[in-house]
Amino acid sequence: MPGAESRRRLWALIAPPAFWLCAFLVVPLLLLSAYSFRAGMSGAFFRDWVPTLENYRILFATPSFFELLAVSVGIALVVALTATALAYPVAYYVVFRARARAGVFIVLLLIPFWISYLLRVMAWKLILGSSGVVNALFMSLGLIQEPISIFFYSRVAVVVTLIYVWTPFVTLPILATLYRIDRSVLEAAASLGATPAQRFWRVTFPLSRPGLIAAAVMVFIPTVGEYVTPLLVGGSTGAMYGNIIQDFFGRSANWPLGAALAVVMLAGTLLLVVATSRVSRVEQYIG
Amino acid sequence: MTARLRLTLLLLAVVGCGGEKRSTTRLTADATGTLTVLDWAGYEDTVMFATFRQKYPKVKVSVAFGESDPDIYAKMKANADACVFHFYTGWQNFYVTDGLVKELDTTRFANWSQVPERFKALGRVNGKQYYVPWDWGYTSILYRTDKVPGGIDSWNALFDPRFKGHISMWDDGPGAVTAVTYVKGWDETKLTPAQLAEIERMWTDQRKLNRFYWTGEPELVQGMASGEIWVAYAWQGAYNTLLGQRIPVAYAQPKEGRNSWVGLYGISPKCQSPELAEAFLDEKLTPKVGVNLIGAFAYGHVNPNAYAGVTDTNIVKALALRDPTALDRTRFTPIVSEQDRNNFGQLWARVKAAH
Repeated sequence: MPGAESRRRLWALIAPPAFWLCAFLVVPLLLLSAYSFRAGMSGAFFRDWVPTLENYRILFATPSFFELLAVSVGIALVVALTATALAYPVAYYVVFRARARAGVFIVLLLIPFWISYLLRVMAWKLILGSSGVVNALFMSLGLIQEPISIFFYSRVAVVVTLIYVWTPFVTLPILATLYRIDRSVLEAAASLGATPAQRFWRVTFPLSRPGLIAAAVMVFIPTVGEYVTPLLVGGSTGAMYGNIIQDFFGRSANWPLGAALAVVMLAGTLLLVVATSRVSRVEQYIG
Repeated sequence: MTARLRLTLLLLAVVGCGGEKRSTTRLTADATGTLTVLDWAGYEDTVMFATFRQKYPKVKVSVAFGESDPDIYAKMKANADACVFHFYTGWQNFYVTDGLVKELDTTRFANWSQVPERFKALGRVNGKQYYVPWDWGYTSILYRTDKVPGGIDSWNALFDPRFKGHISMWDDGPGAVTAVTYVKGWDETKLTPAQLAEIERMWTDQRKLNRFYWTGEPELVQGMASGEIWVAYAWQGAYNTLLGQRIPVAYAQPKEGRNSWVGLYGISPKCQSPELAEAFLDEKLTPKVGVNLIGAFAYGHVNPNAYAGVTDTNIVKALALRDPTALDRTRFTPIVSEQDRNNFGQLWARVKAAH
């Protein structure tokens, strides 16, 4: 039976990644959730597990944790929107204007990924840090007497660095969407008398919107839980929600409370993404 | 008494004495096997167990790494394949409560008598010796003498508005609690909710003075060397490094006393080669290994007989090795309960989350 054969092939293709996702994503998430209902770290995981809501009580009794989550969501939104806005003209130029040089520009866009994320973030320290290039230049010109700290160890520095890190990354899905636009549609618009601006706003931009939304969501989700960049450039006042989670899993060795914070962040992010997809009906484009 | 009876009594006496005075180790020089150690990066260097390697050349020492005390605790809880593990003061209770460490028979350690009681005591929980102390160091205020010419004589310097934007605190809840308890004269093992609230308020207010919370010593050293940081909560290792770079720094002797911390080794009850583990820890206590440790990391060693072999003047100064009363004037990190540790961690998270 050809139907049964094709089903078997389909399952053979789906089974390995499904198993992988189940073993290394779904099961760890379930364990994380289970940990959030544990009282403490002592004892065996299952044998000494007495369900409790204590971690959620602590979490809901601490307004500063929720305020920091709101700040992190705000930062993620700003970073996602700005990086997408900066990436769009670049992608547009590569697809519609670069012609034979498009390949070179795409390679240039990929170069930052050849360098470690940590190194790219640390590079900002060399540029904006107290003894960095900008401060050194200003001081040598006599414009300032001592290093300006606004450039570094602040929430502004976190936002700027994250935008820098994500911009090349978000260019790629936008590029893919722009490449998929049928050029004959643009030619039809031109033959009907549409100006270049009209062609862009009434044809290119609406057709590239799915790529824009996908790109923004791809930046937004990981940025909400970001912790490396604030740790390196945020200073005393630049912490994000991810830093608090990392503290509970790391220094404080309080996995149950860290797990409760992570579950709340996960649920909140999922809600926001679902709401976004509903509003923009992104699924119709993706599907 | 017949000659046979006298001989029998003599033999019994000899056997009896042998029973009382146990052999320090049952290992011979041709011992073989693999000893697994969960340790910190840097301690895998064979000079950190030079005499063990010399005595038992056929034993392989396999070192896995932990990056922090919580990481080592988490790895031991997750059934890490480690016979011997190394952590720092403050975490003694956790391993005992979880059954992750076995009680030691110190009669097996030939070098045990060279370890001062103050260090041995830190390895005891509920009156039982679970841990072998090995390395130690100070925590105090490190400062740039060119930026703070008046010097520093109190932990309160971390909260001094004169140093706004040039202070750096360690990113650690228990460390933050300890510093305030020194300033306030409180017992950090018996803090009331009101005292915890005051500690939280002080650190929340301190954020506007603090440049960054350092997470690793190189970050702090770089900040001090560049002149960005003038005053910092620091270990003596940073002081030694900066002295080596000829940066004008001093390590405060606060009127409240410096803090001291000690590294401890434990043996897992699941260890399949406890004799190797015991011999390894015993050899860790030799003066030769002590000199190697002090020279490599500017950390103290629990065997004072090692100090005479240290000639580096910066290290001698950083650890105050020629001052026999230096450790008497410090305050060792106490053992804290899981509840206290959780409270301190939550307090620090709230400080960092505050606006």
